[in-house]
Amino acid sequence: MNKNKKIYLLIILVLLLTLPLFVSNLYYLHIINLVGIYTLVTIGLNILSGYTGQTSMGQAGFFAVGTYVTSLMMMNFDLPFFLALLIGVILTSIFGLIISIPAMKLSGPYLVLATVGFGEIVRLVLLNWTPVTKGAAGLTGIPFPEIFGLQIKTEKQFYYFIIIFVILGIYIAGRIAKSKIGRTFSAIREDDLAAEAMGVNVAGYKTAAFVISAMFAGLAGGLFGTFSGVTSPDSFTFDDSISFLCMSVIGGNKTIIGAVVGAFVLTVLSEALRVFQGTRLIIYGFILIFTVIYMPNGLVGIIENLKSKILMKKENKSME
Amino acid sequence: MIRYILNGLPIGAIYALVALSYSFIYAASGVLNWSQGDMVMLGAYIGFTVYQILNLGFVPAFFISMLAVAIVGIGIQRFILRPLRKSNAPAINVTIATLGASIIIRNLALMIWGPDAQLFPFPVSNKPISMGSLSITPQDILIVLIGILLMIIFQYFLKKSKEGKALRAVAQDRYAAVLMGIDTEQSDRSAFGLSAAIGAVAGILIAPIFFVTFNMGAGIGLKGFVSAVVGGLGSVPGSIAGGFFIGIVESVAGGKISSGYRDAITYTLLILVLWLRPTGLFLKKRKQKV
Repeated sequence: MNKNKKIYLLIILVLLLTLPLFVSNLYYLHIINLVGIYTLVTIGLNILSGYTGQTSMGQAGFFAVGTYVTSLMMMNFDLPFFLALLIGVILTSIFGLIISIPAMKLSGPYLVLATVGFGEIVRLVLLNWTPVTKGAAGLTGIPFPEIFGLQIKTEKQFYYFIIIFVILGIYIAGRIAKSKIGRTFSAIREDDLAAEAMGVNVAGYKTAAFVISAMFAGLAGGLFGTFSGVTSPDSFTFDDSISFLCMSVIGGNKTIIGAVVGAFVLTVLSEALRVFQGTRLIIYGFILIFTVIYMPNGLVGIIENLKSKILMKKENKSME
Repeated sequence: MIRYILNGLPIGAIYALVALSYSFIYAASGVLNWSQGDMVMLGAYIGFTVYQILNLGFVPAFFISMLAVAIVGIGIQRFILRPLRKSNAPAINVTIATLGASIIIRNLALMIWGPDAQLFPFPVSNKPISMGSLSITPQDILIVLIGILLMIIFQYFLKKSKEGKALRAVAQDRYAAVLMGIDTEQSDRSAFGLSAAIGAVAGILIAPIFFVTFNMGAGIGLKGFVSAVVGGLGSVPGSIAGGFFIGIVESVAGGKISSGYRDAITYTLLILVLWLRPTGLFLKKRKQKV
């Protein structure tokens, strides 16, 4: 990492840590907290789809498992948040492992539909397994997390609480992406048959990608439950899975930072469009279409294109 | 048991039509149109408007609805698929763009027809005819008959007409078809237009079973897609068989096991089929070529 990059990172970090001082509006802070949670889901999705080339349209299913397991562990067994979260993440990973068994052999529309099916099965079980999940009414009174006796409950406290997870998530995902595992993921995306021929254990790596993406969604879900205080199957529909996929593709699914951009832009956009009321979703739909047609590699792709253009110009000048 | 199988036939015929529309687009153009379910919804609303509000008759409702929805389908091909093909965008972008179209169509329908569910009765009796312990309504018989009639017409069109032959050629090998001088742009257009029209008929047929609502498309679209994949995505007979199969499975699962878990059973079956027989239940296995 060069010196410039280190300074930029430091500036961003300071900005992130002081953000609540500038944002006094609690509603805005609430949206930013949601962005943080969605960022975690999208990071997992980027590792799965952008790096490994496997699409999931059932990510809301993993998100739901994380939310319900973590919340129920706290509510029914009085477990502290971190222990409940750990169980939630582990269980979500197991779901990722299970779904990767059929998913390993699938690609294209077949894989998409298998993941849709998984997401719907989770939602329908949450809806019908009333003794445990309370059915359509959902869970209420999910406890707040506690660290060292301090209860996290205000939007500002949640901001710092969530941002730590997000920074850690970005760091870990970045390390995975740059490691041998990340490069193998990309090799599988480009040509899984060729990778297999080179001796790569394609099935194992595809499973790993599913488990990692499930872990991120499960972690985000655990935070989502305690942050919202209430939850119901309505928060984990097919439309929510689509919305995660849109964040991933529109931000740019080939980089980790694309996940942050996508989660931020789409969450803020859908809130900002509320002023249009009835036509809100129509405008949202048009923006989705416009973006994928004119920015095929997402918003981050556009920035990278500009960067390389500027670099080329500089090089041309220095050559003269 | 036979009672539930019989009950599954009308919804099965509708699923078969929707499955057909997914398969047809996939075979002819290699993409999936995620707004296909909303074509069903649009077909139901336009049919409802022509028949119930404008009082133009039952048969004209079918033709006007098919024509109008076909135009919407062609619009999606023209304004979404064509630019995406030109920019060589990845397949996932087609998915998101057609999902965007689905959001737009659904919310436009909400603005035009409002949030209330509309009743769309057929001009035939809804009273069951009993045969021993079994019973079926004339309405159900009509639904199945119209569905099967459309499937036969469609199959005939694919086999006999020049356009149909061109479409089959593109489906078999897009690149070779281009070399033979077939206009793939035209085949994309036909696939999107025809699939939308088939969806419109499915919409009118499902209208008397369920109410017509602006968000009915998502559910029926997914079920149609599931049927297509279970039967064999890209194959006409496979999709039709898949539609009836899923219709019957749902009816049996809902009646014999649990109505709440009915859809979960369908999706579990889907994942099992994908796992054990990825090419669908009714097609021969194919090996991937390197």
